[in-house]
Amino acid sequence: MVKKNYKANKKFHNKDRTCWNCPAAKLKGNVDFRGCGQSRKIMSARGDEHIMIECKRRPELGRYEPTITFEQCPQWEKTKYGHLLKNMRIMILGIDGYLGWTLALKLAKLGCRISGIDNYTRRNCVKERGSHSVVPIVSMEERLKAARKVLGVDIEFREMDIRDRKKLKKFLQKEQPEAIVHYAEIPSAPYSMIDAKHAIEVQNNNVLGTLGLLWLMKDIVPNTSLIKLGTFGEYGTPLTGRPLFEGIFPSDAILKWDNREWSLGGELTPRDPISFYHVSKVQGTFNVYEAAKYWWLRSYDVMQGIIYGVHTDEVAAGPNLRTRYDVDEFFGTVVNRFVAQTIMGLPITVYGTGEQIRAFIALEDAIECMIRLIASPPEPGQYDVVNQVTGLHKLNDLAETVAKVAKKFGINTQIQRLENPRIEAEVHPLEVESTKLPDLGFRPKVSLEKEITRIFELLTQPEIKKRIEEKAHLFIPKTTWSGERKESEVLEVYEPGTKKKKGYKGILHQPQK
Amino acid sequence: MNRKTVIIGIDGVPYKLMDDLSNKGIMPYFQKLKSKGIFRKMRSSIPHISSVSWSSIITGSNPAQHGIFGFTDLIPNTYTLSFPDFNALKVKPFWHHNENKKYVIINVPSTYPVKPLNGVHISGFISLDMDKAVYPSSLLGKLEELQYEVDVDAGTVRTSKSLFLKKLTQTNEARINTYRYLWEKEKWDVFMFVFTGSDRLEHFLWNAYEDKTHEHHQAFLNYFKRVDEIIGEINQRISDNDSLIILSDHGMEQIKTNVNINYFLEQTKFLYLDKSKKEYNQITKKSLAFSLDPGRIYLHRESRYPHGSVKEQDEKNIIQDLTETLSNIEYNNEKVIKKIYQKQEIYHGTELERAPDLVLIENPGFSLRGAIEKNTLFEQDPILTGKHTLEDSVLFVKSENADKIVPPSPTVEDMVSILSKLNK
Repeated sequence: MVKKNYKANKKFHNKDRTCWNCPAAKLKGNVDFRGCGQSRKIMSARGDEHIMIECKRRPELGRYEPTITFEQCPQWEKTKYGHLLKNMRIMILGIDGYLGWTLALKLAKLGCRISGIDNYTRRNCVKERGSHSVVPIVSMEERLKAARKVLGVDIEFREMDIRDRKKLKKFLQKEQPEAIVHYAEIPSAPYSMIDAKHAIEVQNNNVLGTLGLLWLMKDIVPNTSLIKLGTFGEYGTPLTGRPLFEGIFPSDAILKWDNREWSLGGELTPRDPISFYHVSKVQGTFNVYEAAKYWWLRSYDVMQGIIYGVHTDEVAAGPNLRTRYDVDEFFGTVVNRFVAQTIMGLPITVYGTGEQIRAFIALEDAIECMIRLIASPPEPGQYDVVNQVTGLHKLNDLAETVAKVAKKFGINTQIQRLENPRIEAEVHPLEVESTKLPDLGFRPKVSLEKEITRIFELLTQPEIKKRIEEKAHLFIPKTTWSGERKESEVLEVYEPGTKKKKGYKGILHQPQK
Repeated sequence: MNRKTVIIGIDGVPYKLMDDLSNKGIMPYFQKLKSKGIFRKMRSSIPHISSVSWSSIITGSNPAQHGIFGFTDLIPNTYTLSFPDFNALKVKPFWHHNENKKYVIINVPSTYPVKPLNGVHISGFISLDMDKAVYPSSLLGKLEELQYEVDVDAGTVRTSKSLFLKKLTQTNEARINTYRYLWEKEKWDVFMFVFTGSDRLEHFLWNAYEDKTHEHHQAFLNYFKRVDEIIGEINQRISDNDSLIILSDHGMEQIKTNVNINYFLEQTKFLYLDKSKKEYNQITKKSLAFSLDPGRIYLHRESRYPHGSVKEQDEKNIIQDLTETLSNIEYNNEKVIKKIYQKQEIYHGTELERAPDLVLIENPGFSLRGAIEKNTLFEQDPILTGKHTLEDSVLFVKSENADKIVPPSPTVEDMVSILSKLNK
């Protein structure tokens, strides 16, 4: 079922949102003037009851009902992503990472006041596994200097572990962010499957980091929206072919059993994580969901497809502004790894049948999605989930696409199937709903081929090529889900374009225009 | 000799109830007092709600002078409801009239956030943050120790009436202890202390007053018994040369039915709503008029509202049409509206421009409402059983010259003038 009544791609999709959504609104409670009564509880307006707020940015308005629209409010300025809070204060947790740094530059360039923390976990984990970012990245100090010099933006950075609540508390109090983007998690399934130590560290960092953050937000910035990165891997791939809704069942989803029926509308959809890392993400989902329920916090949980790519205008503006790019088995995402293998003249390695279907999104599109989410905060107490995806691709097909683009660069490549180190469904249907981001005006701008082309353009530069070569021995997976450490055996090697397409095809419900 | 004045406010208490409970021996102290002063019905403000009425009481002025026309108003050039507070009051309250006198002001509604004065001020509802509700702030610690709360949490009444009554008593006792503390600790010339639990109790449990078999009937009476004890206690603490004023801001009566005025305006094509929007943002360009609580009618003027469409030359005709149409509302063959005032009939002052164009005064039992998301004209209230009345708030004055200074038909605007003439 494809919904036909998508809202048009309105430039100012969020113009009718109100103070109720705005992080500058301090919720002061509920009042029923007819009973001359006041309640400190925050409740939604119920006819004769009014919600009272004060505006942190416009204290002269006194106390009022949260119904000024973004269009009416002079604090919400028009941008290409919709209305955005003037000089919005945004804190990015994990600002040194692949996404964190890229988003920071884009937002700063838009006029937002960016702050961020990082304890260089990603750099350290990659180093620990013997690898490095093949696109060279400079130290944070140099990054900040380059941002100032090239883009003319200032970013407030603190080196800090998200679990250091004392430090984080101080920083939150100082910065008073109006949105928090939470990227400060260890983002690797295989890394979490190495051994007990690594699994525990991933869950400790990801689960407890988020939990501590929620407690701090409750006390310091309860009206700030938390945009937390989740992953499609939280859902798993249901073999029944049941669609992956956006985290929460729609109202017309029905459970039938024993000749009886129940609506599932509003309930969280099942999660079926596919590694201990993915379990940490699911646990994060539940912690955020509960915090929204108990404390009226608001959050978008972003089920992001597998990310790939190198480009935004800002990271491309200077060599010291580039974001990282990993190619090892732990931190290299699949497309990024395929391109690197091709450039090395090595075959593209596909795990198992290669019939696995996954959700994907290019870096530039993912960053735009994040900005649109920041610009359209959820309501108080609202936990919402978005599926951040622009395409569903079978791994075999991806390999073919990379091989096709490689040809344009004069590179011929082969595809090889390896024993699957993971325990996962290798043949499965996949149907995905993704309409919330389009409702916020998002439309994919970067095609798979376009971004793969950009990757080739960057990675074929001699210095980077050399850096790939140094780490080419890390392409082949050695971490298995069974706990055995061994290199996967080759199952089959074949020429691109020689295989017939077969089996399931991913179905994505998303308007493209 | 230094003569003192004490003002005891009892929010929302009708003359009828004070008279009834004192006659029946439930308020014996007030019964004794009655013959020693002037006890009269007082007319409330228009509209008859606490924020307007108390603002008139403490400033001695008309709503178009002090600028408070309701609990709510719209932020200029938006459809957003604002809740005007003490900052919005355009006329100084009496405690700023004479800087040489010292005042203790406890729990007067609509005086939040507090401002410095010669004395002590703890504001009444709606007070959001304690630190802006108390002057001087050095008193905050003591109030915390006394477990002082401005108001009982109105949300409680939805969960449990018993819990609500318990909280009401707790809040009241803490307030009484606070008055006792400040009475002793401060040197003062004027002491004003307002009971506000009375209004809450009457709104939520008016039926418990009228119905003797109601499970909370006794609790209802007990509250006023306690108020009476404090009246007695205060009266005993003052000398014969001192003055005592007891007053309320409006009366109260049983609700017969709620009447959704905006729904009526929709049905009669004065109001058009876009249901995809929120609250008053639903008002569309085609609309000629809308209502705010309780019976305030505003023309949807071109010059005042974002989508306003009423031109100056059409105002007169629309007012006439509105008056005719609104006066026809009937409930079981009974007229709902008793009287419709045009603003110039009842208001005078610099804020006249902001005043509602019409104010509806209802017949007994009809509770007029300005909520915008209603889909029926009449409805039973899910929570409230009592509603405000205009004509029978309370005024009692005990002083040497009370009979000379209390007008025969007093209104809330007379209080400041009475205060200035006391003991002269």
